[in-house]
Amino acid sequence: MWCETMSSAERMGALMRGERPDRVPVIPFIFGHTALVCGQPLARAFDDAEESFRCQVLAAEMYGYDGGPLYAYASAGGWEFGGDVEFPAKKYSGATVVTRTPIQNEDDVYTLPVPEDITKAGALPIALGLARKQAEHGMPVTLQIGSPLTWAGSVIGEERMMVWLIKKPELVHIVLDKVSQFLIKVAEHYTKEFGAEKLMAFHGAATESNMLISPKQFETFVLPYLQRINSRVLDLGVTSFFIHICGEQNKNLKFWQQVPVTRQTVMSFGREVELATAMEMFPEQIIAGNVDPTIIQESRAEEVLRQAKECIEVAKYHKGGYILMAGCDVPPQAPPVNVFQMVKAAREFGRY
Amino acid sequence: MLDEATILERLSRAVMDGDEDAATQAANDAVGAGMDPQRAIMEGLAAGMAEMGRLYEEGECYVPELMVSSEALYAGLAILRPLVVQSASGAIDRGVAVIGAVQGDIHDIGKNLVKMMLEVSGLAVHDLGRDVEMDAFIDECMKVKADLLCLSALMTTTIIAIKDYLPVFKAKLPGTKIMIGGAPLNQRLADEWGADGYGENAMEAARVAIRLLEG
Ligand code: B12
Repeated sequence: MWCETMSSAERMGALMRGERPDRVPVIPFIFGHTALVCGQPLARAFDDAEESFRCQVLAAEMYGYDGGPLYAYASAGGWEFGGDVEFPAKKYSGATVVTRTPIQNEDDVYTLPVPEDITKAGALPIALGLARKQAEHGMPVTLQIGSPLTWAGSVIGEERMMVWLIKKPELVHIVLDKVSQFLIKVAEHYTKEFGAEKLMAFHGAATESNMLISPKQFETFVLPYLQRINSRVLDLGVTSFFIHICGEQNKNLKFWQQVPVTRQTVMSFGREVELATAMEMFPEQIIAGNVDPTIIQESRAEEVLRQAKECIEVAKYHKGGYILMAGCDVPPQAPPVNVFQMVKAAREFGRY
Repeated sequence: MLDEATILERLSRAVMDGDEDAATQAANDAVGAGMDPQRAIMEGLAAGMAEMGRLYEEGECYVPELMVSSEALYAGLAILRPLVVQSASGAIDRGVAVIGAVQGDIHDIGKNLVKMMLEVSGLAVHDLGRDVEMDAFIDECMKVKADLLCLSALMTTTIIAIKDYLPVFKAKLPGTKIMIGGAPLNQRLADEWGADGYGENAMEAARVAIRLLEG
């Protein structure tokens, strides 16, 4: 019987250094799910740093996957800039959502303050709490630094922002500028507190999807801010990034290529972008993806295993390295056996 | 005197260009020319919106353009709609609808496009927004005596809410037809779960709504 010869930390370490690990590493992309498998309410993954960390560590140990804990959420921005959020406490809730955006009208844009003390803004006390646990355990410290348009959408309200992209582009630029200032301050704080070499900077790019905006709008409203934030983060000495390119973004890929990153960057893709395409566009970076989160929730284990195997077969020998991952956050109530199929696939088909 | 074909063309154009002022002007010209307001809405404004929907499906335009077009459409509608309601045929007063994205779901861009197409088609639409609980739907439907209840869900986790709500709505709202939609849903699920209708996109939603209310 084949045995793993590396611990998860060694495996991820090898991958980051550009060496071949013993097998394809797995980051299942389960966040809320980790609380549920530990018998905790879903909200604990989002509202309690200690518990969130603990559940993520225990879930990783149980499943045998390689990604460490992190704190990030898709609707980030609204709360940090003074709006309200609700943690997922109700029956069908899956994630933290913004219930009141800080911007309600055009005038608000001009007066919107960039939070002075980032350590007190929105979810940052929780994120920092979890980061301190990561540091304590010698793990990479993750911080959310975007992506800027997704943050701006959460500050303005996505729908209002869609209209402004055409009718009031200058207002969107003002908010993007404020969001970028804030995210850079966050990166500066993390660098000071933890040291740049420990950090892994995370972008979750959802509102950038071509389901919503055009590649041209991406070029105008996203690219310059990504470049500004990442350049500054690189200047600070950060050497590792994690970028989740959510949903349909095939037409944006040529712009993503122009975002400054390091070789030690994980680019993760949804089902909509083929791994082969991603590999061609980002030969030097680590590619991650893209098992369909919906089949992980809805289908039978055999189907998940089959799709995970397919992903591995396509991307296993990618020059920059490959991580088996779901295409997006797996619905919290997904059957645990289905989640486990990703680890099983990596062990059976992902050996080097 | 402007000919009707030109006015219809201008109404469509204004919507496609997302030009509120042009839509207002063309709508006023339609009124001045004594056009049937319903025809101006359907063959002018709505035709332009339908074309935008087609371009979106084909990846030729994106959500911001759709939203801006819908604002122009509303501008034209503000002028034409009251005239239809007053008009003798009353054909456009098709019924009362309640719409919302179910609890747990905050995706509302698609839902808002559906709402707009329903309004264009002559329904009075009460929008409960997003993350709407079951009881809120029931209360609103009773309050406004809804003919049609429209439920939107964009996630595999929240379509389950629709599945759970449906039997309750059927029992408590016997006079209300129920239409569902959102990317993970399809006709098969709608049939299985006992919804009266399903629409794949906003145009389809309007067609199905009319069929349900007239059938
Ligand atoms: C924009 C977006 C967001 C925005 C939402 C902004 C807003 N105000 O709506 C933000 C960034 C806030 C967001 C957040 C999240 N999202 Co999101 N999001 C999207 C995205 C990219 C586009 C959705 C959209 O607007 N499409 C454009 C509109 C025009 O199309 P539509 O919504 O399908 O609507 C049409 C039809 O479906 C139909 N229709 C819709 N409603 C109705 C109703 C009736 C009655 C009828 C007849 C027809 C009908 O007509 C509409 C018009 O033609 C999708 C990606 C995708 N592939 O869909 C993910 C997606 C829906 N999100 C997803 C997820 C998981 C989330 C999050 C939980 C976290 C995350 N990982 O991103 C959070 C929290 C959301 C929550 N609790 O509800 C997943 C859902 C996966 C699943 N479980 O099924 C998707 C599919 C992304 C993915 N690839 O995994 N998201």
